[in-house]
Amino acid sequence: MSVKYESQLREPLVYGNKTYHDVTEDIVRPIEAKPSKLWYIGFYISVCLLMFGVYSVYREVTYGIGQWNLNKTIGWGWDITNFVWWVGIGHAGTLISAILLLFRQGWRTGVNRAAEAMTIFAVMCAGQFPIFHMGRVWMAFFVLPYPNSRGPLWVNFNSPLLWDVFAISTYFTVSLLFWYSGLIPDFATVRDRAKTKLRKHLYGVAAFGWTGSTKHWQRHESLSLVLAGLSTPLVLSVHTIVSFDFATSVIPGWHTTIFPPYFVAGAIFSGFAMVQSLMVVVRKVFGLTDYITMGHIEAMNKVIVLTGSIVGIAYLTELFMGWYSQNKYEGYTFWYSRANLFSPYGWSYWGMMACNVLSPQIFWFRKMRRNLFVTFFMSVLVNIGMWFERFVIIVTSIYRDYLPSSWSVYYSPSIWEIGFYLGTFGLFFTCFFLFAKYFPTIAIAEIKYVLKTTGESYKDNMATIEQKQADEFAHEYAH
Amino acid sequence: MASIRQSFEIPGKMKTWSFALMGIGIVALIAGFVTKGMSKDHHEQDIFLGTLMYNTIFWTLVCNASMFFLCVTTMAWGGWQQSFRRIPEAISTMVPIFGAITLVVLLYVAFSGSHIYHWTDTVAVANDPILKGKSGFLNIKFFTIWTVLAIVLWSFLGWRMRKLSAQADEAAMDGETGAKFILSNTVRAATFLVWFGLTVGSTVPWLWMMSIDAHWYSTMYSWYNFASTFVAGMSLVALWVIYLKNKGYLEYTNQEHLHDVGKFMFAFSVFWTYLWFSQYMLIWYSNQPEETIYFKHRVQGPYKGIFFLNLIINFICPLLILMKRSAKRNYTLVTFMAVLIIFGHWIDYYQQIMGSISKEHVTMGWLDFGILSLFVGMMIFGVSKALASKPLIPKYHPFLKESIVHHT
Repeated sequence: MSVKYESQLREPLVYGNKTYHDVTEDIVRPIEAKPSKLWYIGFYISVCLLMFGVYSVYREVTYGIGQWNLNKTIGWGWDITNFVWWVGIGHAGTLISAILLLFRQGWRTGVNRAAEAMTIFAVMCAGQFPIFHMGRVWMAFFVLPYPNSRGPLWVNFNSPLLWDVFAISTYFTVSLLFWYSGLIPDFATVRDRAKTKLRKHLYGVAAFGWTGSTKHWQRHESLSLVLAGLSTPLVLSVHTIVSFDFATSVIPGWHTTIFPPYFVAGAIFSGFAMVQSLMVVVRKVFGLTDYITMGHIEAMNKVIVLTGSIVGIAYLTELFMGWYSQNKYEGYTFWYSRANLFSPYGWSYWGMMACNVLSPQIFWFRKMRRNLFVTFFMSVLVNIGMWFERFVIIVTSIYRDYLPSSWSVYYSPSIWEIGFYLGTFGLFFTCFFLFAKYFPTIAIAEIKYVLKTTGESYKDNMATIEQKQADEFAHEYAH
Repeated sequence: MASIRQSFEIPGKMKTWSFALMGIGIVALIAGFVTKGMSKDHHEQDIFLGTLMYNTIFWTLVCNASMFFLCVTTMAWGGWQQSFRRIPEAISTMVPIFGAITLVVLLYVAFSGSHIYHWTDTVAVANDPILKGKSGFLNIKFFTIWTVLAIVLWSFLGWRMRKLSAQADEAAMDGETGAKFILSNTVRAATFLVWFGLTVGSTVPWLWMMSIDAHWYSTMYSWYNFASTFVAGMSLVALWVIYLKNKGYLEYTNQEHLHDVGKFMFAFSVFWTYLWFSQYMLIWYSNQPEETIYFKHRVQGPYKGIFFLNLIINFICPLLILMKRSAKRNYTLVTFMAVLIIFGHWIDYYQQIMGSISKEHVTMGWLDFGILSLFVGMMIFGVSKALASKPLIPKYHPFLKESIVHHT
């Protein structure tokens, strides 16, 4: 006997007396309606930012990397900070789709679609930085290892920077496939409801001729499982390899063995914060509060306090080892360049500590986890903190070299460096606005899958089961 | 309606086995004490103490991993583990016992002037600027206080979790009491986890183990050790689940639950390897002598065999054998793998501790297996006693029914 049951103590994941049809209606409505004024305003602002970014990049490509304020000592500044920051943000989507799937967390269905979209856009933004940091961007294809006519000029397989090329492109590909394969049945739903020919045609093409037959579903399920299996190690590998960019070196503050898992925890931390920032807004604007409930928000806040605390242990561990190792270079980096508030960049270290370790502790309290204002504020704060983390790691480790003669002056970015960063925001939000307008922001098919177990009205019917004793229930279940 | 078997009766055979194992262990302990412990040779003494050290630490942390599992699943509002939660609870009752033994052994090592903790040698510290610099952390006073605190609080916080769990045997809970019960569970679990993070997740492995190589350091060390004992702890849970199933207990637990425990064994074996690789590769890559010294004799010296055995047992075997769905649902195969994984991580502890104490030659021999048998015997005896003292299924637990309908 198959029993749809879950404890009444769990909050419903879908509120309201929804039927399958209601689910479709609610989620597809924003796609079929005309975009609101708010959408247009947001979209145009994003496009403007994107244009500013394009111009900033144009300056950099035309006049060279000197447009940025990097110098001989601080060779990695805002660009690599931004790269790591965006890659980190691009972790939540795949974690939600793959790892939370393995952990059978039902609430993932409410947010996985948007989180995966965000992942893809964030990785796209991240990719811009190392590409344009190359300076001669038209040579970017040199990173691809293939037999060529450049003689012995070949990629350096020993370099973690090259591993990054592989890791990130693999991650991007698999995330994209995973996201898209989940979209296929939903595109078909939109296609079947389409009123105009063009719409029917476009969504029809996107849906790959999905008919909803059992065979299609069966293959779809197998594919999802395979992709989830492939994605799971990728969630860990990408930021692990990003951390190798630093940790394989002999730079104090970079070379530390805890970096890989600590980077991954930080990435998930920032990824969830970004999902929160977006979802708190999207659920209101699109009227999806029945699907992205306070329970969802609370669950994500729990992930934030968990990963924030893991990151906190890692910070304290490396700070401690900076002293315990009795290595004076490590000690100088950690205790002078970072932890000393009055050193040139001390402010950034304490900003990082305050935003990433102290402030998320507020989420130990249920009231705070379920407060939308606090959630939104905290999610922004965490992302600021995570930006500082990368800035601290990169700049405070290198601005004072082993050789005091190469110590750098204070580094602040040029307008074109800032412009490039703002431009990636433009890219990210332009993509996200288009996504929100043309794609189902919630996985329709997956919500339907959990509806009868966790939908509010269905849960009410389980009250009779809840009254039963365990042995009586087990007996019925077995027969 | 078939009633469930709630009380575990310890089979005579199991008792005999546990006594036999403990008997062998005690004989080995005495023989080891006479031949090595009382030896005039410091090196022999260190080997004796080191053998006790890695066994006590390993088994304490492995049993403590059971409580970690319970607390983490509690915090995550897990339902599936309720039908067999009494097993990790029973395993965690060994923490105070093994913890007390660990305490005695570690304090003896620290106070006896043995050569294992180089930093306890005041003359050496005075002449060694590095050790002198570390003495704010590596000193006997702090070592004692922190070790006592760690063990006492693991035991106490674990006991509070178990005590609360007993409420699920008493009376049916309505919605409100159920919600309260879950809330107090999460609060207690959170307290345990915070302390766990401050000890197992950071300070304790540094103090107890990493400080044997008093100059050496690695920030990954504690997380690596956490992964090692956690995956061994999950394997121990699997072994007891299968044992009880074979004896006809745990009616609500089936292949579905075992499959999930198997997933933990698989996933955390890979996770352990990930941490292993991250630590090893980064040290190898940057090639700084003060760091590579730790691996020098392990990879190129006498420990080479054990070093690679560690990887084969703890990574290659679980990867290849446990990957298949059918493997994780097969009682025999999971039993085999659980034994292998526990053994593998015991080897890992051997190489971590003995590899630092006896750098010139591998000492694995009768004493190691004898002491292992002592601990396995005690574990079987203690866990079976704990199982027999409580109902096997928390029948009024609000999430128990979810565990009954659980399927992967």
